Amino acid sequence: MGAAGGLAVLHASRAASWAAPPAAPLAFGLTPVFLNNDLALLSSLQAYLEKKTGRRVRLVQRRTYQEITALLVSGQLDAAWICGYPFAAYREHLSLVAVPLWRGRPLYQAYFIAGADRDVSTIEECRGDVHAFSDPDSNSGYLVTAAYLAERHERPSSFFRRTFFTYGHRNVVRAVASGLARSGSVDGYVYEVMRETEPELTRRTKIVRRSEWLGFPPIAAARAKADAPGVRHVQRALIDMHREATGRQVLGMLRLDGFTLAEPRLFDAIAAKMALVRRLG
Amino acid sequence: MSAPAPRSGPASAPARRWERWQPSAWPITIKAPLMVAVFMIGVGVLASHLVLTRLAETQERHLRALTAAYLDGLSSSLIPHVLREDVWEVFDVLDRARSLYGGIAVRRTIVLNGTGQILAASDPARFPTGTALPAAQSAVFAARAESRGEEPVLVVDANGRRAHVRRDLVHQGRKVGSILADIDISDLIAERNRVLATLALTNGALILAMAVAGYFAIRRIVRPVRTLADHLERSRQGRIGPIPRAALPPPHSEFGHLFRRYNALVQAVDEREALARRLAEEERLASLGRLTSGMAHEINNPLGGLFNALYTLKHHGEKEHVRLATIRLLERGLGGIRDVVRAALMAYRDKGQRRVLARGDLEDLRVLIGPETKRRRLTLKWNNAISGQVSAPVAPIRQALLNLLLNACAATPEGGTVSFEASANGETLRLVVSDTGSGLPDRYRAFLESEGPITAPIVEGSGLGLWLVRRLVDEVNGQVAIGVGHGVGTRITLSIPLDREALRDVA
Repeated sequence: MGAAGGLAVLHASRAASWAAPPAAPLAFGLTPVFLNNDLALLSSLQAYLEKKTGRRVRLVQRRTYQEITALLVSGQLDAAWICGYPFAAYREHLSLVAVPLWRGRPLYQAYFIAGADRDVSTIEECRGDVHAFSDPDSNSGYLVTAAYLAERHERPSSFFRRTFFTYGHRNVVRAVASGLARSGSVDGYVYEVMRETEPELTRRTKIVRRSEWLGFPPIAAARAKADAPGVRHVQRALIDMHREATGRQVLGMLRLDGFTLAEPRLFDAIAAKMALVRRLG
Repeated sequence: MSAPAPRSGPASAPARRWERWQPSAWPITIKAPLMVAVFMIGVGVLASHLVLTRLAETQERHLRALTAAYLDGLSSSLIPHVLREDVWEVFDVLDRARSLYGGIAVRRTIVLNGTGQILAASDPARFPTGTALPAAQSAVFAARAESRGEEPVLVVDANGRRAHVRRDLVHQGRKVGSILADIDISDLIAERNRVLATLALTNGALILAMAVAGYFAIRRIVRPVRTLADHLERSRQGRIGPIPRAALPPPHSEFGHLFRRYNALVQAVDEREALARRLAEEERLASLGRLTSGMAHEINNPLGGLFNALYTLKHHGEKEHVRLATIRLLERGLGGIRDVVRAALMAYRDKGQRRVLARGDLEDLRVLIGPETKRRRLTLKWNNAISGQVSAPVAPIRQALLNLLLNACAATPEGGTVSFEASANGETLRLVVSDTGSGLPDRYRAFLESEGPITAPIVEGSGLGLWLVRRLVDEVNGQVAIGVGHGVGTRITLSIPLDREALRDVA
């Protein structure tokens, strides 16, 4: 948790900020795990973090989990909201900053969904489907389904006729709702939020299977940077988010109760799934 | 009478009615505007067809341009995803593109990969990823398969209100996939229909207005013809009259000239008729005079005897045998006078429509002509073979015969012979008047024998009696034949068809 950035108030240019380390703003990564298509949410989150940390905050978004994970592990991000799967995969290189609380717990489920018009109630009945995954590095949007199949000695490529990645949980719901995919693997939290915000999409889908409760996608930092003041400030800001009006506004948009500290073993179950899938090869 | 009515009678009546409705019988005021309307409908149809064809071409050009723009934009964003077979991104591009292109109503877009399989469609439920394109969809472009490439192929299905478009996705000169789009063109079709309706309505109204205007214009133009026709029609009913001065068109116009010529003609005809009437009256008076003088002679002859008889009665009436003989003498004398007077009355008073000619009707003529033959010392051969009655109009026949007999008497020199024959077979009454005169001049002969209506009386010469004869014979549908009498003179034969209906009535 050594070095890292000094405080600096800087102009918005990314290139310039990278060029001047003491003035570099806090880089906070976001994965598409999230409702990151909501610009109002992003600016509120940025404003809250800047206010609480007293530093410029740069929100970094990439299309895939992999890119964010690579940036985080390589120390190019101060912290990032990643998925439990990459956290489990890079556990030695990462440390937990905070875990969101959803419905009072730092847990969520993965949903296996299918078109609402289909007469299916188990995953087995979805053999031969065109299946939509969210991201190859997503727990709920890939690993949970892959592990379910691995337990039955199946691979997604053999079980499904065709699979594709949408790089976004919301896109999985869109793909299934439109009929592009017959079934999909999606983050249960995102799905539940979409039930409120976009019921016309979720109404055209149905949940075939809910997974067991798993660790909610956490905010992590590179282990080397874990004790850096910037990371600590971010951690404080997150933990205290529910205490402040602007923070509560952000939480309201995220439909979350707050953030909490958690132990890495929260993600053991995910790590076990990962091991299972890897064993099958 | 009891014979059934022949079938041709009632059948020909509807046929005649039908003829009245034949186009050739329509008035020019209807025909001309109708012809104009038909021509205008032809022009309207042609013009509308041209306008609609041009509109369809313009619409298709616009559609082609819009579609090309849409597909160009789409293909540039699709090619990288198609190369990677990224189903979601292809779908996402299609999904977002739907709301991006307001200019055209894209109903459906399908993206195929290089092997022709569906990569993603805007309607994935119908066109699932990884399946082959349904035959119905590929068949649309079957006929246009040769023109593949980056130029989009457009197939317009006006009935289905859709346009089908296909564009290949070409990357580095290689076809990596293709886009198929169905575009809703109901707006374009609706616009075409609106234009068609407007054209039809405008043309229809225009044609109607022109036809109505044409009707009134032509009615106005042919009004003088109608006026003239009305006047001519009236002349057929015997009431020919000039066109009133107020109705005359200006003298320099075609109709003005024509009308004035017509009025001049009417005036000439009127004058001729007046003259003919006057001459006829004079002739009538002349023949009356001749008759009267004959009758006076006829009455005068017995008068001397009658006065003698009265004298005998006055002085020797007490002797019975004298008285009786004298009274018989008086009776005979008065009876002769009575016969002459009765015959004259019959000839000149009988204007009725008596249609049954009796033997006595012809015998009356003998009495009437008797004084004239006596005065001119002519021999009258009288051969009346009519025994009972024949059905023929009495008045014109008797008048015609009287004229012929008087003419014959006039034409025959003293000591000559005038003969009369009357006979009838079942169909014709034959009346012959001959004389031993100098013969009938050729122009009278031609006039008497000519067919058809009499156009004008003979003005020259003194043949008015013949004119009357000719008119009377026409009246009874008779014919006149003129020949030479017994070696000399003239022999005039009247053939008068017997009226069968009337005959049957009598029978």
